Amino acid sequence: MNGNRTDMIVTRDTGDGATRATGVRGVRARRIAVVARTMWARGGGRYALVTLALWALTACVSLFWTPQPLLKTDGYHVWDAPSAAHPLGTDGTGADVLSWLMAGSRTNLAIAALAVVCSAAIGLLFVGLMVARSNVLASVSVAVVDALISIPTVLIALLLAVPFGASAGVVVGACSIAYGLNLARVARPAALLAARSQYVESARANGAGGLDALVRHILPNISPVLAVQLSMSAGTSVLAEAGLTYLGVGVGAGVPSWGHSLATSVKLINVFPLTVLWPGLIVTLVVVALNLFGDALRDAADPVANAALRETVAVSAVAGVAADVASGRVSVVSAVPDRAVATSAAMGRVAAETEGED
Amino acid sequence: MRFVVKRLLLFAAALFGVSVLVFAALRILPGDVAVVMAGTNATASRVAALRAEFGLDRPYVVQYLDWAGGLLHGDLGMSALTGRPVATQVGTRAAVTFPLIILGLVIALAIGLPLGCAAVITRSPRLRGFFHVLAIAGGAVPALWSGLLLLLLFGRGIGVLGVLPSQGFPTDGWSAPGRAFASLILPALATGIVAAAGIMRYTRAALEDIAADGGPVDMAMACGMTRTQALLGVGLRLAAPQLVSVAGLTFASMITGVMVVENLFALPGLGALLVGDVGNRDLVAVQSELFLLAAFFLTLGLAVDLAHRALDPRLADDKEDR
Repeated sequence: MNGNRTDMIVTRDTGDGATRATGVRGVRARRIAVVARTMWARGGGRYALVTLALWALTACVSLFWTPQPLLKTDGYHVWDAPSAAHPLGTDGTGADVLSWLMAGSRTNLAIAALAVVCSAAIGLLFVGLMVARSNVLASVSVAVVDALISIPTVLIALLLAVPFGASAGVVVGACSIAYGLNLARVARPAALLAARSQYVESARANGAGGLDALVRHILPNISPVLAVQLSMSAGTSVLAEAGLTYLGVGVGAGVPSWGHSLATSVKLINVFPLTVLWPGLIVTLVVVALNLFGDALRDAADPVANAALRETVAVSAVAGVAADVASGRVSVVSAVPDRAVATSAAMGRVAAETEGED
Repeated sequence: MRFVVKRLLLFAAALFGVSVLVFAALRILPGDVAVVMAGTNATASRVAALRAEFGLDRPYVVQYLDWAGGLLHGDLGMSALTGRPVATQVGTRAAVTFPLIILGLVIALAIGLPLGCAAVITRSPRLRGFFHVLAIAGGAVPALWSGLLLLLLFGRGIGVLGVLPSQGFPTDGWSAPGRAFASLILPALATGIVAAAGIMRYTRAALEDIAADGGPVDMAMACGMTRTQALLGVGLRLAAPQLVSVAGLTFASMITGVMVVENLFALPGLGALLVGDVGNRDLVAVQSELFLLAAFFLTLGLAVDLAHRALDPRLADDKEDR
């Protein structure tokens, strides 16, 4: 018990930021572990974690090794049936289908990751504007989002494809804009509730700036929406890549991606229907995994639904308050409502344990 | 009323904004239309002549005003490559694409609504789990893939049950309605099935919210309706505004799938036209087509918002809180 506690509760003699950081980091690691364990305990979450881990692993492996070199073509073995050398057969140039699918996983992973990061940035920017104190800013940003939300991803992609040509960047750009706006719209109600709450009021009265309030108070409140929307966006970006690449505005020719594999397999479906199966199946399985991941993450990261997490959160809240007070950055009065997530019972227990240590 | 006026003003502003966006984005274009049209071994003077002919040498503001003025008069300009008016090109293509989207949406609603309701009505956990998986898996299928699988099942000449035309559209268009319709069935199914999963998910969520809220549904049951009757008779009506919004958004999101499917089934639709023009860098045509499509979706958004208002009388006496 001793070892566990000391890394979280900051002792009173060192009030500097470094000690506080290690304490919070310890709590954060534990919190992540609790969330991961809860996700793993449910079938859907387990499927999602395994599939996504396999995806990431394949993407890493394909950087160094694929069963056959990507550019090795073989005019004598085009559209081959599966064999020992080519477990999923060959495509129209005699290249190995499995190798291309493996290499495609890294392109799709990069596109999905970038789309998630960029759409989160765009979405949060708009959320920030929408809940801004300034009435003009707020209503203009709401109007912009409401107006642009109905423009489909493919139109944005086509618009971007004219100046930039077909590239992965076009897919990322179109997805980021479309999903970012969507995120802003979906997250707005929760963000507004948080922005008008008393704890934001008190934080601002304590001198917290707008950005600080956004990051420390509003963000945690919209994180369930974020978890679901962003993982769905990742999934939709995989679907969008497939569609856009087929239309000729996605990743460029010769770049491995699942959309590329799907599009090349289309050409000869009447002769070799089986080749169509694999890329579509992979896309479907991965998108299902991403959707389930979002749901599982939301459920597991919700302190109300997840009792195990509630304890960890309570401990970290107390630790955080203790750290803030110890470092003399805030008074007890302002610190407590700030982190009032802790249940009083858990607080009492932690307090008792801390006393025992002394 | 204030809401309607405000929404209309927003719509007009959005149209203007989109037109500026489309116009500006296309001016960053590296290979411009005059160079492409003149061919690879054209002289500089030939390119300059073409520039002058299409007015590409004028200042951007003049070009924009000229184009926007034309749009207001219904003049979409001439395609630089084919020399035909963009309006007629778009018109013939829209006669394929819009029936396709509408048929797809009808299929999506016909599948998604009943399944979504069934997912709430059923009490068996096993069935609920099944509907959950169905909704998630259905939405995860790329439209290209569902189209291919349908082709392999039903396509004439390819499929196991070759009963439906697998590719193309009658050259004489809708003068033979039966044949034209038949050639749209598979493409519409391919997009409709995927969209159905989304509609199903939203229907379930909306109906579940209303059922969990108690109130009206419980009241109806207290008055003697069975749970199913209460959910379908009272719950569904309460969910209607949300469902209209969802149907509108689904309509908009189906366009990606529709473009892919048009390509796959070799249908001469808007998607094929637009993709071709983007590939050919036909600046004039792309500009007008992109704007038209964007305008269509903005109009759709407007219609959905107004319908939402009309269907939900509770919103009428709200202050303008949105």
